[in-house]
Amino acid sequence: MGQLPQGGRPRVSELANSNGVAPLNGRSVDRSHAKDLFRRFVETRSPALREELVGLHLPLVEYLARRFRNRGEPLEDLVQVGTIGLLKAIDRFDLGREVEFSTYATPTIVGELKRHFRDKGWAVRVPRRLQELNLSLNKVVAELSQEIGRSPTVAEIATKARLPEEEVLEGLDTSNAYAVVSLDAPAGGEDAPAVSEHIGAEDESLEALEYRAALGPLIAGLPERERRILYLRFFGGMTQSQIAARLGISQMHVSRLLNRTLAVLRAGLLEDEETG
Amino acid sequence: MTSTVHLEIPASGAYLAVARAAATGLAAQLQFTYEEIDDLRIAVDEACTQVLARRGSATTLNVAYHLAEAELRVDVSIEAADRGDPLERDTFAWQILSAMTDEVREQSEDGRLWVSFRKAGGRG
Repeated sequence: MGQLPQGGRPRVSELANSNGVAPLNGRSVDRSHAKDLFRRFVETRSPALREELVGLHLPLVEYLARRFRNRGEPLEDLVQVGTIGLLKAIDRFDLGREVEFSTYATPTIVGELKRHFRDKGWAVRVPRRLQELNLSLNKVVAELSQEIGRSPTVAEIATKARLPEEEVLEGLDTSNAYAVVSLDAPAGGEDAPAVSEHIGAEDESLEALEYRAALGPLIAGLPERERRILYLRFFGGMTQSQIAARLGISQMHVSRLLNRTLAVLRAGLLEDEETG
Repeated sequence: MTSTVHLEIPASGAYLAVARAAATGLAAQLQFTYEEIDDLRIAVDEACTQVLARRGSATTLNVAYHLAEAELRVDVSIEAADRGDPLERDTFAWQILSAMTDEVREQSEDGRLWVSFRKAGGRG
């Protein structure tokens, strides 16, 4: 499990100095330049100035977004979410305040990132007990599948894991709700077999749907492995275990990738509603 | 022997976890395998999401789980006056539902929009 962010809000001065990694890409923002931009922006509300301010502070967003990257969301998405926070901060920043903009903006950006995870039903902090439960269930399911040559039932998992069925159910319920990073890593480390063999029919079939379903940009934007799993499961009629064997990863890993991909694709559908 | 469990939840994506959890528990009782349960959860999510996407001003979502021998049938429905536009067959959503279950149906009837599916499974 990667580092979970601490509850408190990080101070930018701390961020800048830890490990000598400056959040602002080593080049400290020219503060007087930033102030000047803000002054002009407050007067004119010019979109061009706003954009310049965003560009100027993007490294801060990237730095903060990286703190959340071990939660199963692509970094680019997190940067986008963080940028929303940055925009809010820029629009609200009051020059009369005695604080640096970066200090002012950090809680807003972090807040936006946390809200993103909360809205998706993903707790920002996974209770340790559930982390451990997930890890042990993952192991048991893999072993049992091997032993009996099929996916095990909940009762079988419970017996093998010496856990009440209730707890196994709880594990099932949370296994895909939380992105447990250690399980998400490719089976063979970073250089797991690239899923590069292409079958023309897969693309055609997906493309036909993309047209109709208005999912085009979303599906096209998926990483190749996710696209492929999506295809094999929903169009190729393969089971999770079969896909897992083909791609050289565990069945639970396939399950996780599949669920995550669907969550991304669905996000747009119910986006407008309150989930807080 | 068959039995039915009715769930009535607010028509909001925030409650989908409840519909999923209920399906998980019931499928476990029917001795569904881990993979079958996972497919079932995806199907419940998809059916509820599709119905919710057409919720209009409806405030509650109804999910009925019918337990039978080695089979679970799920009916998801919502109040949808006459505006219940059907779930089209050539959508990705329909494809997901078909791939995850043994039979899918949708209908608009008596001022309600329904998406139902049947999933066989279990070892006994």
